[in-house]
Amino acid sequence: MTPRAERIRGWGFAAPALLWTVAFFVVPFLVMGAMSLATLEGRTLVWGLSLANYVELTEKAYLARAIMVSLEITVTVTVVSVVLAYPLAWIIAFRVPARWQRLALLLAILPFWTSYVVRSYAWLLVLAREGMINNTLIGLGLISEPITLANTRFATVTGFVHFFVMLLTLTIYANLIQLSPNYRRAAMDLGANAFQTFRHVILPLTLPGIVTGAFLTFVLCIGDYVTPQILGGNTELTVPQVIMVQLGRRADFPLASALAIVLMGIVTLAYIASARWLRLDRL
Amino acid sequence: MILRMLPWAYLLAAFVFIYLPVGTLVLFSFQEGSLPVPPFNGPSLRWYGDILGDDDLTGALLNSLLVAFGAASVSVVLGFLAAYGLARHVLPGSAVMRGLLIAPLTVSYLIVGLGLLIVITRAGLGLSLVTAAIGHVVINLPIAFAIIYASMGAQQQNAERAARDLGASEAQVIRLVTVPMLMPAIAAAFFLSVTLSWDEFIIAFLLTRFDVTLPVEIWSMLRSGLSPRLNAIGSLVFLVSVSVVLILELLVFRRRR
Amino acid sequence: MTAPVILAGLNHWFGPFHALKDIDLTIEAGEYVTLLGPSGCGKTTLLSVLGGFIDPSAGEVLIGGRDMTHVPPAKRPTTTMFQDYALFPHMSLRDNVGFGPRMAGMGRAARNARAEQLLGMVGLASEADKRPHELSGGQRQRVALARALAVEPDVLLLDEPLGALDLKLRRAMQDELKSIQRQVGTTFVHVTHDQEEAMAIADRIVVMNAGRIEDVGPPARVYRAPASLFAADFMGEMNHLPARITVEGVETPFGLIPQALPPTGRAVACLRPEAITLGEGQVRIGPARVRDAAFFGTHARAHLVPDATPDLTLVAHLPPGAMPAPGDSLDLSAAFDAFRIFPVKE
Repeated sequence: MTPRAERIRGWGFAAPALLWTVAFFVVPFLVMGAMSLATLEGRTLVWGLSLANYVELTEKAYLARAIMVSLEITVTVTVVSVVLAYPLAWIIAFRVPARWQRLALLLAILPFWTSYVVRSYAWLLVLAREGMINNTLIGLGLISEPITLANTRFATVTGFVHFFVMLLTLTIYANLIQLSPNYRRAAMDLGANAFQTFRHVILPLTLPGIVTGAFLTFVLCIGDYVTPQILGGNTELTVPQVIMVQLGRRADFPLASALAIVLMGIVTLAYIASARWLRLDRL
Repeated sequence: MILRMLPWAYLLAAFVFIYLPVGTLVLFSFQEGSLPVPPFNGPSLRWYGDILGDDDLTGALLNSLLVAFGAASVSVVLGFLAAYGLARHVLPGSAVMRGLLIAPLTVSYLIVGLGLLIVITRAGLGLSLVTAAIGHVVINLPIAFAIIYASMGAQQQNAERAARDLGASEAQVIRLVTVPMLMPAIAAAFFLSVTLSWDEFIIAFLLTRFDVTLPVEIWSMLRSGLSPRLNAIGSLVFLVSVSVVLILELLVFRRRR
Repeated sequence: MTAPVILAGLNHWFGPFHALKDIDLTIEAGEYVTLLGPSGCGKTTLLSVLGGFIDPSAGEVLIGGRDMTHVPPAKRPTTTMFQDYALFPHMSLRDNVGFGPRMAGMGRAARNARAEQLLGMVGLASEADKRPHELSGGQRQRVALARALAVEPDVLLLDEPLGALDLKLRRAMQDELKSIQRQVGTTFVHVTHDQEEAMAIADRIVVMNAGRIEDVGPPARVYRAPASLFAADFMGEMNHLPARITVEGVETPFGLIPQALPPTGRAVACLRPEAITLGEGQVRIGPARVRDAAFFGTHARAHLVPDATPDLTLVAHLPPGAMPAPGDSLDLSAAFDAFRIFPVKE
C-alpha cells in the first residue's frame, strides 16, 4: 500500500468516531461558548459578543459565592479522599495476602457501582434526622436530640468522599502493585525503615498516580449536580446547582453557559497545575 | 501488637464506611412500614411487589436498558474502528486525533449535556431516548477508544501482519484476527459503557422528555422524600450493576491472566 | 569490608514445595562464589535467605561469625543487587548511590562525595546527574553495583546481575565485576544459570539442582571432575556412554577403563567432546563415520558414529584446521582420566 492510500484508509477507520465527537461534542461546546456571549432580553435570545454574563458572575453575590462553595467542597473532597484512600490501597496491596487481594479490592469498590442517584439517597438514609446514625447515637445514649447531618456541607462532602475513596483506592492500588517489589526490598536492604521507604521511594514513585486520581476526583466532583442537590439541600448552592436553576426556572441559557465555561476554566487551571505529574494515558 | 492490628482495624473501618449506605439501603428495602428508617420492622417484600407493579418504573427500566445497550454498541464499534485506524496506520496528526477523541473525558457530564441541550433545542429537534443515547455515546466513546487502543499491542500487530502475509484481506484480518484477539478489551469496554450509561443521570435528565430512563424516574420519586420504594428500586439497580461487574470480572479479567 | 558466611542445615518450604534441602555451605571472606543451576533449582531462594528476604524454615545463617538467620535485610551486613537493578527512577545516579549512606545518617556533602567516588570506580563519574532511564543496560548494572557497595557490605549478593545484558556486554562486565571484587575485597555471592559466566568469574562454583547442592569447587575441578552426573551435564556438553562397574574396572563399549570403584553394576561413563582426540590413545574408540560437522572458530564440532557402536552418536570438538566432511571416517581415542564414571541408581 502506498503511504497515501494507507493514510486514506486510516482516516476512513477513524472518521466515524471523529465525526461523532465533532458533531456532538465540539460543535455543542462551541455553540455553548457563543451562547455565553449572548444575552436575554425579556424572553428572547440576542446573539452577540457581550461579556454581560461574565460581569454578572462577579457582580451577583450568589453567583460568586457558588464558585467559592464549589471550590471549597471540591478541594476538601479531593484532599480527604486521597488521605483516606492511600492507606486503604496500601493495606490491600502490601498487607492483604496475594490470593485475597483481588477479592479485597473488588469488595472495596463494589458499591462504586451503585447508581449515582441511589448512592446519594442511601447516604440520606444514613444521615437523616431519624436515620441510622442519629438512631444509633441516641440508642447508645451519646446524644439526646438528633443532630443535623443531612442538608449540610458535611453531608455533601461525606457522599463525595465515599464515592472518590473507592475510585482512588482503585487507581492508587493499581499504581502500588505495578511497582517492582524490588524497590521496597532495595530500600530496606540499604537501611531504610518502613517510613523512610515510603517517604523517599514509594511516595515519589506513586505521585503520578495520586495526582492523576486527584485530578479525576477534582473534575468529577466540581461538575456534579446530584450529590450536592440531594445531600446538601439548598442551604448553599454549588455551580452545577446554579446552572440547573438557570436552565429550569428562568431558561437563562446564556448565564448557564457562562457558568459552564467558568467551570471548564477552573478544570483547565487544575489541569495546568497538575500537568507535570499527570498521566492521563495511564488511567 | 497494637501497631500490627492497626492496618486491619483501618481496613475494617474503611469497609464499614464503604458499605454503610448500601447496607442501609438494602436492609430497609425489606422494611414493612412506610418509612425506611430504624427501627427495622421487616423483612417484607411488600415494596418490591409495589415497584414491580409500577408501570412507570418498569417502563423506565426498559428504557434504561435500551439506551445503555444502544449507546454501548455504538461506542464500542466507533471506538474500535478509531483505535484500529489510529494504531495501525501511520497518520499525520494522529496525536491530535487521539486527544480529540479522549477530550470529552475531561469535561463534566453536566457540560456535555448542556451543550447538546442547547444545540438540540436550537435546531428545533425534540428530546427523546435517542438524544439521551447520543449524549451517552459522547461520554462512552472516549472510554471505549482508550481501552481498546491501549490493548492494541505489538503482539496483535505481528499476528495481523502474519495474517496479511498469508493472504487475508483487511476485512478478514479485522474479523479473524484483530477482533478475536482484542475480545477481552472489547468486552470490557462494552460492559463498562453499559454500566456507566445505565447509571447515568444528568445527561439523561437534560436530554429526555416524555420517555425517561430509570435514574431520571428515581430522581422524580426522590422529590417525595424517603420511601422504602426507593430503597427497593435502588437495591435492584445495585444488584444489576454488581451482576454485570461480577460477570465481567469472572469472564473477561479471569481469562486474561 | 568482608566476612565469611556459614550456612548450616538450611531447609525451606514454600507450602508443600521443598525449595531448599539440607544446604551446608561455607564461604570464605573475600571469596567470589557463584550459585549455578537451572531455573527453579533454589539458587535465588538461597540468595534471598542470605539477604534476609526469606526466613528459612530450618537451619542457620552465620555471617562474620554472628547468627543472622532471623535478622531483617536492613540490619544485615549484606546488600543485594537485584536482577532488575531496582534503581530508583526518580533519583539521579548520585542520589541512588547515596541512598544507603543517607539512610545511615550521613550528611549531604559526605554522601555525595562517597557516591561520586563509587560512580568513579564503575566509570560513571561524569554521569552523576543523570536519571537511570537515560542509561544503557550495562551502565545501570554498574550503578546498581555502586549503590550496593556504597553501604560497605561484608557480603554482596548478586541476583543474575548480567541477565539483562547482551552476550558481548556480559563477557565484558564479567571481567569488570571480578576486578571490582578484587579491588574492594568484599565477599561476592552471585546467582547465575550461565555456566560460562560462572567459570569466568568465580573462585568457587556451587552447582544446585532441585533444592540441593550437587557440587562445590573451583571451576576447573567442577568442570573436569564433577561430583554428580547433573553437575557434569550442567557444566557443559557431555557424551554419555553405557558402562558397567566390575571388579576389574569399568567396562565401556570401547574397552576397560581401570578405576577403583566399588562394583555397583550399571553406570554412565561421561566424556567431554574436547577429550576425544584423533589417532592412538589409552582408550581406542576406533574408526567413526562423520555424520555432520560445523565450524566454531576455536574448534570443529562434529557428530560421529563409531563403527563399534552404530547406535551411539558422539559429539567431538576436533582441531579447527582440518574440517571433516560428512561421510569421512576418522580414527578416535581418549585418555583414561578423561572419563568420569557415575553409577546408575537402580
